[in-house]
Amino acid sequence: MNIFNLPDLGEGLADAEIREWYVKEGDTVKVDQPLVSMETAKAVVDVPSPQAGRIIKLYGTVNQIIKTGAPLIGFESESVQSSPIVKKAGGSVVGALEESEHSLNEDEVVVGVAVPAAVKTPRVLPAIRALAKQLHVDLEMIIPTGPQGQITAEDVQRASQGGKQHMGESQMEELRGVRRAMAQIMAQSHSEVTPVTIVEDADLTDLSADIDMTVHLLQAVVAGVKAEPALNAWFDGKSLKRRVFSEVHIGLAVDTPEGLFVPVIKGAEALSASKLRAKVNAFKKEVTSRTVAPIDLHGATISLSNFGTITGRYASPIIVPPAVAILGCGRAREVPAVHKGKVAIRRILPLSLTFDHRAATGGEAARFLAAVIQYLEGL
Amino acid sequence: MAEITLVEAITQALAYEMQADPNVIVLGEDVGKDGGVFRATLGLLDKFGPDRVRDTPLAESMIGGLAVGMAVQGLKPVAEFQFMGFIYPAVDQIINHAARMRNRTRGRLSCPVVFRTPYGAGIHAPEHHSESTEAIFAHTPGLRVVIPSSPRRAYGLLLAAIRDPDPVIFLEPSRLYRWAKQEVPDDGKALPLDTCFTLRVGTDVTLVTWGAMVKETLEAASKLAEEGVNAEVIDVATIKPLDMDTILASVEKTGRCVIVHEAPRTCGMGAEIAAEVSEKALLSLQAPVKRVTGYDTVVPYARLEKSYIPSVERIREVVHLIMEFA
Repeated sequence: MNIFNLPDLGEGLADAEIREWYVKEGDTVKVDQPLVSMETAKAVVDVPSPQAGRIIKLYGTVNQIIKTGAPLIGFESESVQSSPIVKKAGGSVVGALEESEHSLNEDEVVVGVAVPAAVKTPRVLPAIRALAKQLHVDLEMIIPTGPQGQITAEDVQRASQGGKQHMGESQMEELRGVRRAMAQIMAQSHSEVTPVTIVEDADLTDLSADIDMTVHLLQAVVAGVKAEPALNAWFDGKSLKRRVFSEVHIGLAVDTPEGLFVPVIKGAEALSASKLRAKVNAFKKEVTSRTVAPIDLHGATISLSNFGTITGRYASPIIVPPAVAILGCGRAREVPAVHKGKVAIRRILPLSLTFDHRAATGGEAARFLAAVIQYLEGL
Repeated sequence: MAEITLVEAITQALAYEMQADPNVIVLGEDVGKDGGVFRATLGLLDKFGPDRVRDTPLAESMIGGLAVGMAVQGLKPVAEFQFMGFIYPAVDQIINHAARMRNRTRGRLSCPVVFRTPYGAGIHAPEHHSESTEAIFAHTPGLRVVIPSSPRRAYGLLLAAIRDPDPVIFLEPSRLYRWAKQEVPDDGKALPLDTCFTLRVGTDVTLVTWGAMVKETLEAASKLAEEGVNAEVIDVATIKPLDMDTILASVEKTGRCVIVHEAPRTCGMGAEIAAEVSEKALLSLQAPVKRVTGYDTVVPYARLEKSYIPSVERIREVVHLIMEFA
């Protein structure tokens, strides 16, 4: 029997789960014929046959996890194994030597060490191995912290309580700069803020086609803040203190290959449309050339994310503490909608407002959003 | 190229080196006219004459002494003992003199001798003809113990043994003498001493063996593969000094080790290898190190011989046992 072992279906995947067998024992298959559907951590993959021949054994049933390198399928060997012809031979005065014409194939013999281990097996003392078994911990998923790369009892205990998964340290890229900052801020937001997201549509059909949408959105945020100042605030969850602002400092999310920049348009309520446009243009340029001043990246009292310039309808935007609200703006699109009692094609802008429910009420948020929409629709 | 047996590969190596080096002398009982008890020296007398192929009296202590004397005086004797059970009268010469000559003379004299003998059971022979007492010699400082398991390794390792400046015990598994054939180029190329040979690459368990047991171990590995266990098979080849680097590298990969030898269990080379593995690869072990060996008895006569030699079944059973440790 020729054994076909499960190949690595991704890059360094430890195992895969059988989703569906396309073949059964006794089937004859062709080269590249799909044999089995395997689900890995990354995708569902069809495994093609490495050879033509008859299948005589399937190693595993549906939903069973097969380790990479473990037997998957046994094919009938093509060459018929003939037992060596044994005859009693002379050539000795004592005893009888087994003699045959059996030809010894040693093409694969290696002097010294053969193929070294592709994957280092975990270095672990037998007692700790037993502990891991008892706690149902997979040793290959543990990052060792002991001397000489040993897995310690503590490592096993930690893993049993849902510790870090081994991701291949050497291939991990350390986050830097704005991407690193984003990761930290988002995690902070997730652990501190109590977010609620409200979604609603604005009808832009009656708006002039050449309106500067970004500026219009900034002005709508200002209008929302005028109607409901509670969303234009900073909040400290530890001391349970808040500061409501009369100035509107709008953080404008700008997407770049390096990561997310949020330059802040200070005092937006006092700026004309052309001044706002000039400010937006200046920030875009500075962000691209990485010359934006640090002071311009701090102090937002509310944020705007116009992700609709790329795609997407609604979202659950994440608040950047200590601010308490962020407005997400999706992609405007034309839809059949009921307008004045009739179905008509309308231009709809989807909006998503996230507010920190520790700092603002649902009523305040809804009134803010209503005022934003009213401004956007030009009413 | 014609395929030859292991014993023919021995003859081929002897002839090559006698041709290449006039100091190489073959001696032993019936090695001349008769060509040796297993015909390992067949044709050498005709080719190289009675000065270089010497029949000796039936006195192993004398064979040992002659060989030591020749070696310290600059010749390269290759002495044959007919069976391993007949080597004991020469042990005084081998252990007390050949092995110590370099040390005794503070390096002034070395003893470049090869003591060849068929060894191991499985040929339905009477007592004294089935011994596997390699551990006695491996235990002795100053001796190198080499055991080939295929025609190619017989040729390459015997050449290396003859060329080595110190005494070598060269043990030829008689059960494999004519068991299989192989193409062996007569190119005078030696194989490295003190180095293991990996005969089969695997991932789940390391099977360490040598000599005739290579046959059963490889058969067991094939069966185990059908049963889903992927075994690596290492032929130690030089059992003293041991190439632990290769064995440890393999065990660090597989996490499991089984040593298979035909010799009695107690104080066999398996014990030494197991100790080294547990000292140096403890952190990689996923199961106890196991031995599959002969028993602590004299090798029985023909009828029970098969029960004595570790079988494919016994190897498989032990491997399955340790595969249950996870």
